[in-house]
Amino acid sequence: MSERTGQDAIGGVALVTGAAQGLGHATALRLAADGYTVAVNDIADDGRLSELAKRIGGMPVPADISDPAAGPDLVEAIASQIGPVRVLVANAAAMAMSPFLDADPGVWWRQIDVNLSGHFRLIQAVVPGMRAAGHGRIVIIASGWGVIGHPNATAYAASKAGLIALTKGLGRELGPQGILTNAIAPAYMDTEQLLVDADDAGISLDEMRQRYRDLIPTRQLASPQDVAAAVAFLAGPASSAVIGQILQPSGGVTRTRA
Amino acid sequence: MSDDSDAPAAVITGAASGIGAACAALLRGKGWRTAGIDLAESDTDLPATVDVTDRAGVAAAVDAAAQRFGRIDLAVSAAGYYEEGIDVAEITREQWDRMLAVILGGTVHTCSAVLPHMLARGPGGQGVIVAISSELALAGSATDLHYVAAKGAVLGFVKSLAVEMAPTGIRVNAVAPGPTDTPLLASDSLWRRPDYLATLPLGRLVTPAEIASSVYYLATEGALYCGEVLSPNAGAVI
Repeated sequence: MSERTGQDAIGGVALVTGAAQGLGHATALRLAADGYTVAVNDIADDGRLSELAKRIGGMPVPADISDPAAGPDLVEAIASQIGPVRVLVANAAAMAMSPFLDADPGVWWRQIDVNLSGHFRLIQAVVPGMRAAGHGRIVIIASGWGVIGHPNATAYAASKAGLIALTKGLGRELGPQGILTNAIAPAYMDTEQLLVDADDAGISLDEMRQRYRDLIPTRQLASPQDVAAAVAFLAGPASSAVIGQILQPSGGVTRTRA
Repeated sequence: MSDDSDAPAAVITGAASGIGAACAALLRGKGWRTAGIDLAESDTDLPATVDVTDRAGVAAAVDAAAQRFGRIDLAVSAAGYYEEGIDVAEITREQWDRMLAVILGGTVHTCSAVLPHMLARGPGGQGVIVAISSELALAGSATDLHYVAAKGAVLGFVKSLAVEMAPTGIRVNAVAPGPTDTPLLASDSLWRRPDYLATLPLGRLVTPAEIASSVYYLATEGALYCGEVLSPNAGAVI
């Protein structure tokens, strides 16, 4: 039994957004280990993207996906250099917390623009190539907060719930063309994003971790590697009958409510 | 007598055909040791011909597997049967009771039998239970109400047992297949009709191997799933 990966890989080029850190970073490493050539995107390359790309033999493609011109340019650049995108992992996210009425409209809408609209455009850009190949996988990183909501996170929850609905619609619409769209809705993951939560709550990072652990039936924060394994499952041949579904590796927080 | 392998071990009900057999075949191919519980003899390392409605029989078969393998890493509750085309008013008491006894009872008996062995491995440990439910339990269906009720009961049972077991490290989850090409679907089943299959985003029946691969994923990389329902269903329920 292989310990490295439980799944066989389809291979080809995978594009991972938000890959400079956290889940995106772990996903890029996992998909590369599974045999994909990985293009790694984040809003800018502060050195981390190019370092990651070098480490995994991939391609750094920094861009702000909320820029309407970014998607087509990025997909074109990847196709010409390493091949057409066969797997898109829509992971990048803007996240800010504040009470609803205190939210700065610009900050509120920025989360929708990146998380939902940015990935909408990126999906528009990759679908023609997947269609031409008669095969593709779109893996959308949603959130448990998009399933059950969370105080002081209305924009983030709305963007992620929008991604869940997008997943279901794309599953139905693109499935007959051989393009399988699914989402993953983790709950409390141990990534840099927890700092935002801790600042909002006015407590330390360790206190935040403990507060979240207390909310999780399994008492474990999700590791990026475990969630990356869910991405690998949805990108690979083992999930060939899974369409329009929302996987919820949440330690029991949501228990398939989406 | 225990064999001396340290390969992981699974108990699979309904292992002689369909989804259970596909799970057994996949696991054996990955180097697992398997014990099968079925009315018929299964192609496993330790086949037991037992009716899953027989609580003591299931317990004895599971105990024998634990003794032989020295561990039980995974239990898959796949035993079941299907009846369709029955108006709700026509479902007899016997049909209702039998369906619940096999599908819900079989799952409960399997869990009751394997949990002591999994719990005995101590905290942080280990053990994964996967119950096979059905997409029909998620969205409902006409003319097979007793089957749907039993599969729905399995989902409620799984989610609650998952939470109860969560602190122990044992993971309890379900897989809800779509219409799957197994002997349970008669050749004239509604679910085999081309006009029905055309409504599915995948446009075809699911294969037993495609269900087994979801079970295998939960068994090997599913530490974060607790009360989850995985749905390899060809898009039948989205």
